[in-house]
Order: sequence, then C-alpha cells, then structure tokens
Amino acid sequence: MSKLKALFYVNQFFAGLGGEEMAHEGLHIFDEPKGPAVGVAAMWKGEMEVVKTFACGDNYINLEENYEAVKPEILKLVDEVKPDVIIAGPAFNAGRYGVACGRVCDLITKERGIPSVTGMFPTNPAVAMFLRKTVIAETTETVAGMRKSLPILAAIALKLAKKEPLGTASKEGYIETGIRINEVDENSAANRVVSMLLAKLQNKPFITEVPLRKEGRVDAAKPLSDYSKVKFGFVTTGGLVPKGNPDKIRMYAADSYGSYKIVIDTFNKDNYESVHGGYDTTAVNEDPQRLVPYTAALNLKERGIIGDCTDYFFSTVGVGTNVGMSMKLGADMAEKFIADGVQAVFLTST
Amino acid sequence: MSMRLTRKIYPVRELREGDKCEYSNCILTVNYDELLQVAKPYSKNIAKIWFEVYRPGEDARIVHVMDTIQPMIKTDTPPEWGGKEYPGILNYPYTVGMGTTNVLEGFTVMECAALPWDDSASSGLLYVRDAIIQTTGFYRNYTPFCDTINLILNYEMAEGKSAEEYDNDIRKSAMAIAQHLAKLTIGLEPDREEVYDNTAVDGLPKVALVWMCQNQGVFADTLFYGLPIDNMVPTLLEPNEMLDGAVVGGNLAWPAFKIPTWIHVNGPILKELYRRHGVDLNFAGVILARSHQPSNWHKDRCSQSIAKMAAQIGCEGLIMQWEGGGNAAIDGMLTVQNCERRGIKASTLTFEFGGKDGTEGQLLVDDVPEANAVVSCGSWERTVKLDAVKIAYGGKTMRLDKEKGGYFPDATQAIEFDTSVHMYMSGNQSGYSKITAHAY
Repeated sequence: MSKLKALFYVNQFFAGLGGEEMAHEGLHIFDEPKGPAVGVAAMWKGEMEVVKTFACGDNYINLEENYEAVKPEILKLVDEVKPDVIIAGPAFNAGRYGVACGRVCDLITKERGIPSVTGMFPTNPAVAMFLRKTVIAETTETVAGMRKSLPILAAIALKLAKKEPLGTASKEGYIETGIRINEVDENSAANRVVSMLLAKLQNKPFITEVPLRKEGRVDAAKPLSDYSKVKFGFVTTGGLVPKGNPDKIRMYAADSYGSYKIVIDTFNKDNYESVHGGYDTTAVNEDPQRLVPYTAALNLKERGIIGDCTDYFFSTVGVGTNVGMSMKLGADMAEKFIADGVQAVFLTST
Repeated sequence: MSMRLTRKIYPVRELREGDKCEYSNCILTVNYDELLQVAKPYSKNIAKIWFEVYRPGEDARIVHVMDTIQPMIKTDTPPEWGGKEYPGILNYPYTVGMGTTNVLEGFTVMECAALPWDDSASSGLLYVRDAIIQTTGFYRNYTPFCDTINLILNYEMAEGKSAEEYDNDIRKSAMAIAQHLAKLTIGLEPDREEVYDNTAVDGLPKVALVWMCQNQGVFADTLFYGLPIDNMVPTLLEPNEMLDGAVVGGNLAWPAFKIPTWIHVNGPILKELYRRHGVDLNFAGVILARSHQPSNWHKDRCSQSIAKMAAQIGCEGLIMQWEGGGNAAIDGMLTVQNCERRGIKASTLTFEFGGKDGTEGQLLVDDVPEANAVVSCGSWERTVKLDAVKIAYGGKTMRLDKEKGGYFPDATQAIEFDTSVHMYMSGNQSGYSKITAHAY
C-alpha cells in the first residue's frame, strides 16, 4: 500500500526563512519537511509522509488582501499534491501564527474536503475563530513544549488521513469543540458521582464532566424612580394564550412566543388559557389577569401612577427552555418594546 | 446511629400463568383473577385492569408508563416499632429499615394507563405525560426495566373522577398486587442474602446523600411514609429506610425526570455508597428534601438547612441528587454552595441542555462556582430516534402534544422526538444510566 500523504504548513520562522524581519514573506513551497514537520513525520513510522511543506510570513497571511491573493496558489498546490491530510503549526499561543494556521486549514477543508489539524494553546485567540472548522490539538503555551505537543498532532493527523473517526476531546488531546454526544459510558452516573466525591475528599485529581456556564449573571436593573411618564409592557412566561393555542407554543422547551392584543371584554377565561406544562394552571385558567394584570395597570394609569401601558402582551412558556433560546426570545421582545416606546415591563413568571 | 437490614433475594427468571399465584425455583406463576381480587379493595375508581407481560429480549415499546414498583415484603421487623414495606401506603407508617425484607429480583410491577386529559384530571403540569420505554437499541440504556420481567397492569379508569382518586387507586392497587406476589416467597429459601448495615468504621470520612424530590401536586408528588413532602423540611433518613420503601414516587408529570418507586428503593447512588461504606467512606445518612422550592426565600431556607444537617452529623462529603428540571437545579446548586461554604465537599449529577449538538445556549440552567464536581447524565435536548418495534405494551397508540390538540401515532411505529422528555428516566437523575454526554 502506498504511503499516506500529508501537506504541512508552517510560518517563516519554522520554515527557516527568518524571524520577525521575514514576517512579510509570501508563499514558499518546499519539497521536504521543515521544522516541526520533521519530528511529526518520524512519528508515523512509515505509514504517512510529509510530501511538501509550505509557508508564509505571519504578517503577510494575516493581511486580508494578501490572504485573498494567496488562496488560489494554496489550492493549486493542494490539487497537485492531493494530500490525505493538512497539518498546520503548531502555533502554541502565538496569535498571528494561530490565525494563519486556522485560515490554511479552514480554507482547504472547506474548499477541497480534505481533513485538517492544527495545534494551539487553549487561550490562543485563533481558537475561538476556528473551533469546529478544523481540529485544534491542544499544545503547551510556548514552543518549549514542542516535544510534548507533537505526538498529539501526529496521532490526530494520522487518524484523519486514514478517515478514522476521532474519539472524545480528552482521549485524543484536541481542544473541545463544544459538541457533546450522548453515549454509553463504562460506568453509571451513580458510580462516577461517588468516585468524583471520593477523589475530592482524598485530594486526588478529578475532572468535572459539565463545565460551568461561561456567560456571566445578569444584574438586576436599577429601580425606576418615577413611573408617571413611563409606558409599561406585559410579558409572561406563564404560557397564557388565546384558547386553542393559535401559535402552537410548546408546553415545555418553548422556542417561540406569541404577541396578543388585549380586548378587555374578551380578556377572560372563555377566550384564554395557559398551555404551560410546569405548574398547576387552574388559577390562571380562571382569570387570565392573574398573569397579565391589565385592569390593574389601567387603574394605575388612570390614577397617574404610571404613564401608560400597552394593549398587548408577549407570552411564552418558561419551562425546559435552554438559556440561549431564552436570551434570544427576550432580546426579540425587547427590540419590539423599544420600537413601541415601552420603557418598563411587568414580567410575570410562574 | 445505624441500622441493619437483610434483604433476602428471590430471583424471577420466568413468569407463567397458572391456577394460582406461586413462586418456586425462580419461576413466578400468576393467576390474574387472583390478582384482580387483591386489587379490588382499591379499585373504586377503576373500570378495568388487564395484564400484559414484557420479557427481556423482546423488541418492544412500553407506553403510558406510570410508576414501576419493586415487589417486596418485610418478614421480620422490630416488634414494638417496626413498620412494613412501603409504610404509609398499604401499611401503617411505622419506621422501616431494620429486620428482613424478601425481594423479588429481576421482576417489576409496572402501571400503565391513559388517564383523561380533560380538566377534571389535568392541569398544566399536573397530568400524566406519556412515558415511553424502548427496549432495544441505544435508548434501552435509560432504564433498568428492559432487563426485568415486567408485569404490566393496564388500567381503564371510571369516568368523571378526580386526579386524586385516580392517582390513589392506581398506586394502591399496584402496590397490593406487588405485595401479594412478594408474599409468595415467605418461608422459602432465598437465592442469596444482602446485608445493609451502615455502622460507622473509624477513620473514614462521613458522607451523606441528599435525595431531593419533586412535589408540586397530584401526579407530581413524592410520598414519605405515605404523605406528600410538600411542606416537609429537610429530613434525615437512615439509608435502609429508603431500601424498605419509606419514599414512594408519585411524580408522573415528567417521564424524563421522574424517579420511579423501584429506583427509590434500589437507589443506584445509595447502593454505590453502601458498596464503598467501610472501605472508602462512612455512609452517614440520606437527607430527604423537597426540590422545586417555590421561591428564593424557600430555596435558601431549604439548602441552608440541608448543609447544617450534614455538618451536624459530621459529614465531610455530600452527594447532591435532585429530581426535576431547571427549578430543581437551583435548589441543588444552592445546596452544593451552602455545603462547600461550610467545608463539606460536594459532588452532583445532572442532565444537560446544549440543543441539538451541545453548542446551543448553555449546558446548565443554573450553577454556582463551587460546583466543580458535576457528573453528566447526558443531554435531554438531543433528537431521539426510535426504531419501529414488533410489539407495544401499555397501549396501542402514543399520546403526544396535548397542548396542540393531541397526536396519537401507532405505538409500534418509528418516531422522532425533539427531546427525550417522553423517554422514561432519560434525565438519568438517579444515576442509574451509563448514558453521558462526551465532549468532542
């Protein structure tokens, strides 16, 4: 069987062209492995070889117009070589080099369908830009850890070239993409939760299986000092809808909301109901104003306590909806309210 | 402070129909007329009960699943105060956890019913959402009940009765049948014995299990010695009380997140803690609490109280388990936080969100910085694809999409769900399942 073929990308420094003073250099193509490619190739034990190495200066390829200009040249090289895998870097924590590696991998994988792998330290800004566009092996922070990082890169590259599926991020050593797949583990969750506690009690290392939320908490808004000029809107997550649920809002894990005009004569139990699947809806079904206190708001308006209120409400079901979807629905409601001059909202949860 | 309980194990390897109910040589013979007589005192609101049997290995789907019960009977209890199995349901609510209990292993009594969807027995949360068990393929891993012989009790209810009446009669009639079958083992030699004794061993850290259960009304309740835990403050239990049925599941609202009674009495975490008791840890007790505390005020009150109780009994470690979704997650996370603040190390387990592939939105509804030891029970937001099956038990159709007017596909057909909400125990909150979300 003929050897598998790898095409390797490095920057001007690892290609031996020079340091920062050569960072403006355009595309160079070499017939032999350069820099880390030498070490990586040795790890394949003859199963795959680096057929060509190509390189650009970091400043050159980071500049948009240069990148656009060099794209066809890179793809031409790929079409000539017909590699089984693209390997770039590793870039460690170098930002420009990271972007260069990410661009090269992304371009070839997207345009030619050839798998690619690069290597970076997790805080490299290019990680966020190219996550899920290429495989990013986790490396040390600096080039000092080259020897530790290359075997990971080599092993992933070989698997990709052989078209073998990659295992989990922790098993293969690449940076987590965010993709999580339901699978059968070796041990039950009960077994693992006890083992994890024991590790914690015995001061042994353990790895949590669910990373904590990345986005920060939302601070409560400052209280309003004067309501008398403020127009109020109504939002409820209590699942109030016109009978029959015309917008087919789901009773759990809702991914939509409805906007409903309030006509006081028909705003009653004959015409409205809650489709919420997370609480006892008996009281709300008797009187929709338990969720949308429209008459009470009109009364406040009449007495001059609030400026105005809308004659419609937004409604969704707040149960089992993930935080991302909730943020999206909330932002959409806020946009509509702002366009309508609404400055405050009666938000009834259940 | 400890209890000693012996479980005598009687495996059921085969189930047959016969002239009378009998257990012999791992063969359980059932007579359905006899079982109907046993159920009769509790069948005032039941029009009809009929039986089906699922056997391991069948390519089947079980629908309309409500509670699943571990048949067992106590044969020896302390004479002055000892209670009987499932105290407070069919038996007087005396304390359990001591003495001897006969257990039918590899066999369950499973309730299945299509309860009315009208207002009399249904309100928002408080209705029995269709729960499904798929016995083949990946999804069989959600429950233990693909590997057990399940005596399925199908119910048709009398018309015009209340949710409370349906709930009560189904539970008690199924319990009575389970008890009757377990009684057949009395006087017989068990296959083996399991001893549960949490007498403390010097030099090992004390660990408690928090067992936090849903309680929000009929069809979403948990019973402790026969009563819903609605207004219960956190309560300290001996682990053996759980094994004898002090806690009974009545939560039928969320198939994915519910804890069936079989799991309450065969708690996977509880058994794991027992396995390590005297080796790595001292199993100090179970703290039973209500999840879904109605406000922050209640949640702080409850979680602080749990942490205090754990500290009071000298715990160094604690496992936080909760039943339910986002609301309950807040109770769980606050408990982790309050324990860690007191120097009690905590681990916990939860299903996760993340949309179709883990990249959408957040994985958790709530967390605290102290929650650094969290086990993933898999995501409930992944698409569930059920293959067609040869046979359906529990009903001929599935009952879906109530809020959209109802959808009733054939119970054997291939079907896809956006989430695992209809899959029995798919939230894996008891820790039974090996399903987890692996990071790629």
